[in-house]
Amino acid sequence: MTLSRRRFFQTSAMGIAAVGAASGASFAQDVRKPRVALMPGLTTDSYYTTLRAGAQVAADAFGLELIWQGAPDFNPVTQVPVLEAVIAQQPDVLLIAPTDTQQLVAPLRRAHDAGITVITVDTYIGDGVYQTGATDWSFPLSAIASNNIEGGRLAGKALGESVGGKGKVYVAHFRPGVSTMDEREAGFRAYVQENFPEMEVLGTQYNDNDASKAASQFEAVFARTPDLAGVFGANVFSAIGAANGVRAAGQSGKVKVCAFDAPETIIGDIRGGLVDLAIAQHPAEEGFFAVSAAVATFNGQSIPTKISTGFTVLTADNLDDPTFAKFIYK
Amino acid sequence: MTSASRSKSAFQIMGQFWSVAFLVVALISLEIWTQIQYGRTFVFSAYNIQAILVLASIPLIIAIGQTFVIVSGGIDLSTGYVLGLSSVAAAQVLNLASPHMDALPALLVAGAAAVLVGAMAGRVNGFIVATLGVPPFIGTLGVFGIARGMAYLLAGGGSTVAVRNPILEAMGNGSIFGVRAPIFFAAIVLIVAYYALRHLRFGQYVYAIGANRSAAERVGINVKRQIASIYTLSGACAGIAALGCCARYSAGAPQAGEPMLLDSIAMVVIGGASLFGGSGTIIGTLIGALTIATVQYGLVVVNVEPFWQFITVGLIIIAAVLIDQAKGKFL
Repeated sequence: MTLSRRRFFQTSAMGIAAVGAASGASFAQDVRKPRVALMPGLTTDSYYTTLRAGAQVAADAFGLELIWQGAPDFNPVTQVPVLEAVIAQQPDVLLIAPTDTQQLVAPLRRAHDAGITVITVDTYIGDGVYQTGATDWSFPLSAIASNNIEGGRLAGKALGESVGGKGKVYVAHFRPGVSTMDEREAGFRAYVQENFPEMEVLGTQYNDNDASKAASQFEAVFARTPDLAGVFGANVFSAIGAANGVRAAGQSGKVKVCAFDAPETIIGDIRGGLVDLAIAQHPAEEGFFAVSAAVATFNGQSIPTKISTGFTVLTADNLDDPTFAKFIYK
Repeated sequence: MTSASRSKSAFQIMGQFWSVAFLVVALISLEIWTQIQYGRTFVFSAYNIQAILVLASIPLIIAIGQTFVIVSGGIDLSTGYVLGLSSVAAAQVLNLASPHMDALPALLVAGAAAVLVGAMAGRVNGFIVATLGVPPFIGTLGVFGIARGMAYLLAGGGSTVAVRNPILEAMGNGSIFGVRAPIFFAAIVLIVAYYALRHLRFGQYVYAIGANRSAAERVGINVKRQIASIYTLSGACAGIAALGCCARYSAGAPQAGEPMLLDSIAMVVIGGASLFGGSGTIIGTLIGALTIATVQYGLVVVNVEPFWQFITVGLIIIAAVLIDQAKGKFL
């Protein structure tokens, strides 16, 4: 855990150092500034506002204007009209978190055909493998995202260590078919099965993103599994609900709760002892590297077709350490 | 009835005058704004105009169905998820049919399925409202929930059902003589509905029931049957819109219509219809749809922060209703 955390931290530190040099040095004047538009999956989510903050740091460093436009809910029907209006603003580079792997392919191709460079952040179109020329969706230059299977594996490691490598755990999940969450679950299961022979992963509980449903599901699972050791809440509401279920059952501290994502609500629950661990993604890093990639490609540099950002495990012990606290979503 | 409908049309012309004025003010403001901010035209850009028309097209089709319902004095809150249910049904039928036939017949079968499922859901609304006498606000809200659950069940728990059909893709994302295809799609529905509401006896019944239901009964209109037909029509419109959604996004999705429901009601009201029934026109609804689409699209083009966009659209709806009420007092 420590190793991966340190490695990811170093990557981002290097990126920041590089941009610091670029903006401070005299050659900054030679860098042509693209018009960059950033479209989140939805505007009302702290994950994406944190991503925006990271993007803004890079935009300020390069001295360029960042257009931020999106829809209030995670739905192609509301995202596509906003996309069309963003195309009308004629940005040079579009950074977008597409709300569906298939439904955004044709609308994004229209942006591509209008001469706009498309880079996806957080989510992707098709299978996220670009620039192969072999698929309908290979026209974006790069996919900048965290690897959710790795995130799930990190959750498996962190929760497994936290319960002492034995006992029963289960995954509280939003809805089958949501790719990022299915990947987190798969990574979690794989890591626990490979590394903790004395642990058992029970059947997954689906809660429709309803925290109170997730809470009652915990109580039901606990009722039939008194030796339950931990829960992996694979997104914010799953984790909040499971944590409330743990409290209602009087098991706080005994049954460990690992949350995925780290908005303020989860951090509050960690401080209050309801949640034990949070796997923070690095949305600010995604935003930062996305803008950096936009500048690079606009100036004729090549960029990787895939940029993976990292994860950090947050616990009550490290929340006040600035090295870790900066990964709390804003 | 002739004199009644003549005085009504004076109201309707006035209502349309205000909604047109709104649209013109919105367009002029956006033109000035983009000229100052970017030195570019807003109104005289073919791309902008087409994008607005495409944005308006699918919600307009639902709003057209809703116009009939609102003019008759009812409301249909189920259309968002009836659209979703119909789009999933069409996608599933298309995927079942595609291996067995060519693209065109498969699409026709899927299109028929979308309209049929929508119309059936609408007929259920009609039965609940007209025959069982449940207030439309509650009855259609119940069907909203039922359609929502069925849509997710039919989608197999997943969020979308992807489809592949070259003709459908062209309908959603292609162009004919440089004009984007969804615009034609909505225009056809618009023309048929305009004719039906204005020139068919059915359309006159809709106004008569909305203006005074008991009077309509006394002159021998079978009000229950007409109301059932009106809701069936609204459901069928949601089914047609569902096909448009499938075409545009190459997938059926349960939640596809959810964001459109309230917008579509706002379109009808901005277009000069009264929620108490008896007034409203298809052209008014068209203007309402264009107004909302222009504002939603234009505020992104001039890069207004997203949350201010909700506030602006909200204020426009309230202003439109206030003007509507004032018009009732002063005329």
